[in-house]
Amino acid sequence: MDIVTGLLHGFSVALAPANLLWCFVGVFLGTVVGVLPGLGPPATIAMLLPLTFSMSPAGAIIMLAGIYYGAKYGGSTTSILMNVPGESASVVTCIDGYQMARKGRPGAALGIAAIASFVAGTVGVVGLMLVAPPLARFALSFSSPEYFALMSLGLALVVLLAGRSMLKALLAALAGLWIATVGTDPFSTTSRFTFGQLELLSGIDFVVVAIGVFALGEVLANMEAREDAPLLEVPRGLRNLLPTWQDLKDCRFAFVNGSVVGFLVGTLPGGGSTIASFLSYGLEKAVSRRRDQFGTGVIEGVAAPEGANNSETGGALVPLLTLGIPGSGTTAILLAALVLWGFKPGPLFIPEHPDLFWGLVASMYIGNVMLLVLNLPLVPLFAQVLRLPVYVLYPLILGVSMVGVYSASGSLFDLGLLLAFGLLGYVMRKLDYPAAPLILGLALGAGMERALRQSLMMSQGSLSILVSRPISASMLSLALLILLIPLFGKFNAWRLRALES
Amino acid sequence: MKLRYPLILLAAVTGLPHPAAMAQTFKPARPVELVVHTGPGGGSDVLARALAIMAEREKLLPVRMVVVNKPGGNSAVAAAYLAEKRGDPNTIGLFTGVWLQTPLVSPEAKVTLRDLTPIARLVLEPAVIAVKADAPYKTLADFIDAAKKRPGALKQSGGSNTSRDNVVRQLLQKSTGARWVFISFPGGGERIAALIGGHVDIMVIEPEEAGEHIRAGNLRVLAQVSEHRLPGFPDAPTLKEAGFDVPVVPQVRGMVAPPGIPAANVAYWEDFCRRLTRTASWKKYIADNQFEDGFQGAADLARFYDEFTMRMRGILEDAGVKTVR
Repeated sequence: MDIVTGLLHGFSVALAPANLLWCFVGVFLGTVVGVLPGLGPPATIAMLLPLTFSMSPAGAIIMLAGIYYGAKYGGSTTSILMNVPGESASVVTCIDGYQMARKGRPGAALGIAAIASFVAGTVGVVGLMLVAPPLARFALSFSSPEYFALMSLGLALVVLLAGRSMLKALLAALAGLWIATVGTDPFSTTSRFTFGQLELLSGIDFVVVAIGVFALGEVLANMEAREDAPLLEVPRGLRNLLPTWQDLKDCRFAFVNGSVVGFLVGTLPGGGSTIASFLSYGLEKAVSRRRDQFGTGVIEGVAAPEGANNSETGGALVPLLTLGIPGSGTTAILLAALVLWGFKPGPLFIPEHPDLFWGLVASMYIGNVMLLVLNLPLVPLFAQVLRLPVYVLYPLILGVSMVGVYSASGSLFDLGLLLAFGLLGYVMRKLDYPAAPLILGLALGAGMERALRQSLMMSQGSLSILVSRPISASMLSLALLILLIPLFGKFNAWRLRALES
Repeated sequence: MKLRYPLILLAAVTGLPHPAAMAQTFKPARPVELVVHTGPGGGSDVLARALAIMAEREKLLPVRMVVVNKPGGNSAVAAAYLAEKRGDPNTIGLFTGVWLQTPLVSPEAKVTLRDLTPIARLVLEPAVIAVKADAPYKTLADFIDAAKKRPGALKQSGGSNTSRDNVVRQLLQKSTGARWVFISFPGGGERIAALIGGHVDIMVIEPEEAGEHIRAGNLRVLAQVSEHRLPGFPDAPTLKEAGFDVPVVPQVRGMVAPPGIPAANVAYWEDFCRRLTRTASWKKYIADNQFEDGFQGAADLARFYDEFTMRMRGILEDAGVKTVR
C-alpha cells in the first residue's frame, strides 16, 4: 500500500465517529495527566487497559496513543507556572519557562509550548509515516558505544547549561552523576550507597529530585523575601497572553531543532524523551546568538524541548510498530496492550494490519490539531494561577509537588527524599550552584554508566571501541568540541588583553 | 471441591464448627488488594490487571480485585509490604522469579518468599535460544564450538546477572567449558535490538518476543529452554535433544499471601488459582503469550522454592556473584 492510499484509508478509519470520539477522549485524558505531576502516561494507560477490551482495536490504540502524546502537551504547564515538572520530559522546560512566567510572560511560554508541541508533534507523525522502516534499521546500528557517545554529548551540554561559574556547574553535574549510581549495580547486583534502605535498591527517581531541587528549592528561597503582594504581574487580555509574532520568529529554528532531534532520538530504542528534550535545549543554546540569556527566560528555551518531547512520540512509535521493540515505559505498555488484544507486534505488523497502522497515523494528525485547539484557550486560564497571592501560591506549589511525588510511587520514603532534595535545592541556590547540571547528570548518569560498561564488555576491555565506530566517534568529537569552546573563548580574551597591554 | 457440601452438612448436623468446614467458608469480604512489584505497565502489573478482569468476568471472586503497585527495591518493597500485612485476609501478591533472586544477593531485601505464605505457582515461562538469521551457527553445538575457539569473544544480551538468561549461560558454560560474555540490558527492547542490530551474537529470549522476528526472517532458533517442544516451535530441539543435558531453569510467576493467615485462607486462594487456570480466558492468555501452565499448589510451591533457592545459590556462586543468605 503506498503512502497516499494508505493515508486516505487511515483517515477513513480515524474519521469514523467512534474513533474520532476515542481520539478526543485520549488527548483530553492525556492533557489532564500531563498537567498533573506524578501520574504519567504509562500509569494512565495501564489503568485504562481493562476498558479497552470491549473496544475495537483501532479505537483502543487511537485512544491510548492519544494519552501518550497528549500528556506531552500538558507536561509543560506546571513546569512553567510553578517550576514543578509535570513529566520527566518537561524538566528542562522549567529552566526558561519558569523564568518567563516570573517576568510576567506565562501566557507566551504556555502558548509557545502548545505551538511547538503541535508543529513538532505533526513533524513526528510525518516522519513515522514516511521513513519508519528504513529509519528503524538505521536505529539498530546504534548500540552501547553510540549511546555512550550520545549521552556524553548530552553531558557536554552542561558547559552550556552552566551559569557564571564553570567549576560550580561541573561539581553539580558530578553530584548528579553520583546520585545516579545509588541503587543496585545492574551488572554485579551489588548494592551501592543504599545505606541498608530497601527503598534505595532500585535507585532514586529523577523526577523526585527535579521537583525537589527546582520547585521546593525555589519556594524555600522565595519565602525568605517575605513578599505579600501578588508575586507576579500577569497582563490582562487574550492578545497579551499569547506569543507575539516576534516570539514565533525567534522560535523558527527551535521548531526545526525540536522536531528533528526529538524524532531521531525517539527512534533509538535506548533514547527517550528526557534525553531528547535536553539535547535540543543544548543545541538551541549552542547555536543561539543570545546564548548568554538562556536560563533567564528566552522563548526558544521553551519551544525547543517542548517540541522535542512531542516529536519523540512519533519517533518512539517507529521501533514499536516496525519491529515490535519498545524503547520506553509507555511504548512497553502499548506493546503489552497490543499483545493482550491478540496482535503480534513485530516486523510484519504494518503490512498485515494496515488499518491499525494507517488509522493510528491519521488519528495522530487529527489528535494534534485537537490538542492545539484544546490547549491554546486554556493558556489564559492557567496563567491566572500566578495572580494568586504568595501565601496561597507557595502552599499550592508545595501541595502539587507532594501529591505529584506520592501519586507516582505511593511511597512515603519518596516524600522524605523530596524534602531532602528541596533543602539541597535551597542550599544550592544560596551558594549559587546551578541546578540544571545536577538534574542532567542524574538523568544521564545511569544510562551513561551502563552504556560505557556494556561497550567495554563488548570490546573485552578496550576503550578503542568508542572511537573506532564512526557514529560514536563523531558524536564524541562533537562533545569534545563543545567542552573546548569556552576554553577558546577564555584564551581569546586573554590574548586580547595581552595584546592591549 | 466435591467434599465441600458434605462437610458443611456434617458441621450443620453436629452443630460444631468442623475445622475442614471452616477451611471452606472463608470468603474475602472487602475488595482484595493484589500487590505487584512493578509500576503500572510492567510485566507483573499487566498480568495482574488481566487476572483481575478474568476474575470478574468468570465470577471467580465475590468481591473486586484491585491492583496495588509497590515498585522499588527489585521486588523487595512489595515483599516487605506484604510482610507488614501479617494476617490480613484481603491482601495477596503476585511474585516472579526476581522475588526469589533479590533476597539472595541484596542484604537489604530481608523478606524471602518463605517468610510470606506461598499460595500457588501459576505460570512457567519457557524460553528459546536465538541467533540472527544470517549468523553462521545452525545449531547450538556450532555456537558452543565457536565460543570454545575464541573464548570471551562471543556475546549474549540479557537482563540482570541473576536473570534466567544468565543462569542458562552459566549452566551451558559449566557443562561444555566454552566461555562467552554476558551483557546486561535493563530494557527488553534494548536486548533484542542489540541482537538484531548484530552487536551481540546470541540471546535467551521469550518465545512471544522472538516469534514475529522468526516469522519475518530476522532470527533463528537454535534450541528451546524447556522440557518438551513448545507448540510454536515444533522444529527446534530442546536443550536435552540438542545434546546439552543441563537443568531447565524455570521462570515462574505465582501468588503469595501475607504471613500468618489461617489455613482456611490459603485453601481458598489455592482453590481460586486452580479455578482460574481452568477458565477459557486464562487458557487463551497463556496461549497468546506462549507461556506454559505451571499450576502447583501451596505445599509443592514451598518445596519448589527451596530447591530453586539452593540451585540458584550454587549457580550464582559459580558465576562469581556474592550471595548474602
